Amino acid sequence: MSALSVENLSSGYAGAVVLREVSLALAPGEILAVLGKNGMGKSTLLKAVMGFLPKMTGTVAISGSEATRLSPHRVARLGVGYVAQEKALFQDMSVEENLRLAIRRPDFEAALAEVEASFPFLLQRLKQRAGTLSGGEQKMLLMARSLATGAKLLLVDEITEGLQPSVIDRLAGVIRSARERHGTTMLLVEQHLPFALAVADRWAVLDRGEFAETGATSEPDSRARVLKHLSV
Amino acid sequence: MTEARRLSLILAVALAALAAIFAGPYVLDTYSVNVLTRSLLYAAVALTVDLLWGFLGILTFGQSVFFACGAYAAGLVFTHMDFSTSNAFLALGLGVGGALLVAAIVGWLAFWHGASALYASVITLVLPIVATQLLYSGGTFTGSSSGLSGFMSFDLSMEAWFWLSGSFLVGVTTLAYIFVKSDAGRLLVAVRENEQRCKYLGLDTSRLKILVYLACAAIAAVAGYIYAGYAMVVAPELAGFVFGTELVIWTALGGRGTLLGPVFGALIVDYESAQLAGDYPFVWQLIIGTLFVLVIVAFPRGLLPVVFDVPRKLLGLLRPRTAAPATSVTLSTLDPASTQGVEPGDGPALAVADVVKRFGSLTVLEGIDFEARAGELVSLVGPNGAGKTTLMRCIADGAERSAGTIKVNGYDIGRKPPEACVALGVGRKFQMANVFETLTVAQCLQIARVRHARPSLWRRASDLPLPEAAMHVLATTGLDRQLATPAHLLSHGMKQALELSMVLALEPRVLLLDEPTAGLTKTERMQIGAILIDLAKKQGLCVLLVEHDLDFVREISSRVIVLHQGRIVLDGSVEEVVASELVKQVYAGSGHAGIDHETAPTPSQEMPA
Repeated sequence: MSALSVENLSSGYAGAVVLREVSLALAPGEILAVLGKNGMGKSTLLKAVMGFLPKMTGTVAISGSEATRLSPHRVARLGVGYVAQEKALFQDMSVEENLRLAIRRPDFEAALAEVEASFPFLLQRLKQRAGTLSGGEQKMLLMARSLATGAKLLLVDEITEGLQPSVIDRLAGVIRSARERHGTTMLLVEQHLPFALAVADRWAVLDRGEFAETGATSEPDSRARVLKHLSV
Repeated sequence: MTEARRLSLILAVALAALAAIFAGPYVLDTYSVNVLTRSLLYAAVALTVDLLWGFLGILTFGQSVFFACGAYAAGLVFTHMDFSTSNAFLALGLGVGGALLVAAIVGWLAFWHGASALYASVITLVLPIVATQLLYSGGTFTGSSSGLSGFMSFDLSMEAWFWLSGSFLVGVTTLAYIFVKSDAGRLLVAVRENEQRCKYLGLDTSRLKILVYLACAAIAAVAGYIYAGYAMVVAPELAGFVFGTELVIWTALGGRGTLLGPVFGALIVDYESAQLAGDYPFVWQLIIGTLFVLVIVAFPRGLLPVVFDVPRKLLGLLRPRTAAPATSVTLSTLDPASTQGVEPGDGPALAVADVVKRFGSLTVLEGIDFEARAGELVSLVGPNGAGKTTLMRCIADGAERSAGTIKVNGYDIGRKPPEACVALGVGRKFQMANVFETLTVAQCLQIARVRHARPSLWRRASDLPLPEAAMHVLATTGLDRQLATPAHLLSHGMKQALELSMVLALEPRVLLLDEPTAGLTKTERMQIGAILIDLAKKQGLCVLLVEHDLDFVREISSRVIVLHQGRIVLDGSVEEVVASELVKQVYAGSGHAGIDHETAPTPSQEMPA
């Protein structure tokens, strides 16, 4: 059974179809990187799966449960975490409050240990207001929070944006170790090609709302094949 | 539709409305004419509530006070000084002048820098309470709780009062409508939508809010003046909080942000209330209250949008809507001779001396000292949390830093607010795309040009001349083909590009870019990079850039400043910085995760993993 199964999904905004009959299936523990130029429907795919955007056609199933018509909070209850591109933190709350609100597990201490394993500096900043963290630090909090929720499926929108190179390296390790320990399935939308190819098992390029090409990251010509789509 | 046709259509509707007003007394009974005269004046005040709340986003409960200013000016002058033509003018002058004075004080308190929207609402809530108390304590001068009555007034027939009130309402509604649909009127929405971005586009939003508030106060005062002349009685309730709140309810009921909705909302509710009060003296308020709740629950946008939706839907069934509305704005490249950027002064374009920034006990920046010349492209790199964005903020807003001096083009920015820093030649692009979400691409760009080309109060410009650099960015990213797209429908990267073009439209001398290419593809990045190089080299801009992509930094910048834990640890050429052990250690990393940050294809990347 697929951790995420999307069939013939079309979505977009009033009067503008952005995503056209896209299908994909993720095996449990698999990481897929969705690449592509701007405005090709990458974020729209995540938002539609999550239920933030209407599905014009198609179906979505999460671990076998039908999720096509569910509202975002119901999708989240199926064990789906969404790492949004912007406005994803409670700016006026402290780091700890941000973590506590998202992590509904009874063992908050264990979750904190998880956070410490990914980005230890956050433990020293528990009382700091999230809005006063720098842009990159907010991204790290966001990722740490999502990983610690124990979500089975993570939808991650351009997490590397605004991160310094060494943190991107670290993040790659964090993501892979989370997958090894918890078997988390992930759908990553990325612009950072080297990161995406290093972390994911498979890649797919979205072009004008459709998958133009897909491949396994282990194939040696992956990079060249992706670049061909990005540069035209 | 051409501009002339659009305006004539509005005037034609206004003339039709005037004709209906003129016909009113001939088709309505005396009682209705009497009640509606009052309703027409109330509607004019509801219109000002909509301008403030529906367009500018300021929820106000105090418009009743300005209505009372006009009414009491007439009542007081005619009671204590007798009625004469000259006194009538005196009363009008006192009413409007008094309202303007009160509005100026309240506006200054409510909208001056740093006041939040909630603060403004609280002040307008307190205002009617204070005003009513003053009227109560005025003794025989204000007539205390019973108000003033029995004074002489204009000798006009009932019909004439109806016509006067009606014409006044049609007049102000037409002017308000033309204004909010004009280029200048769009600023109101922009301020409501994103006041911060407006300030960083060099617009004095506080001043704009106060001006609109003053105009609204004057309209309400004139309505109050006419009311006193017609009713020949004024009472403290006119200034009251209940009336002020009723105005808000009528606005919500009719359709906030539609102008006509609140006008009809006020007319219908006030007229029906009078009818019901006569027919069911004990339960009418209960009936009205229940209806309010039902309407708000069923139609949260108010009644008018629903009324307009019905014919639109019926038409839609017959005629499918065309996909995208054609844009009515054409872009053109501004003639370089007519650019109005700030004249470069003496000394370096940017001089930062000993700048310190503390948040409470936490020191975020310390001893920041550097200069940058015109034509220089300086990259600011450093670990996340090193203080890069904070430094940008300190340069763009004089109130931000805790100590030190910053000079732009030789001028000390002192404690100047962002809009004044923009006037000195600073342009800032934020880290997170910061645009006007509900406005279209073209409208966002128009707002960015307001500082240079004063917008018309009644027309909509059909062409938009932009500086060459802004045009470049639009063409490179393809945004010039999406001018009619609302900004919230743009992808993240496109929003970044839109904001960059908006900042370039300011014609800055010192350009602050916080990760300008985040969310863009490598190809787009390189194209934007080429535009930035061009800006620095050919047009002599000083560009300060926060960037994580060291490859990109190497490609475009002449100099790199490395920030670490709030201090400058390195200031030198790209080669020096890339070779630095410290930078490798705290920033770039060793690439242990197998990620090669050089994004151009390299042989090692082509090896099987």
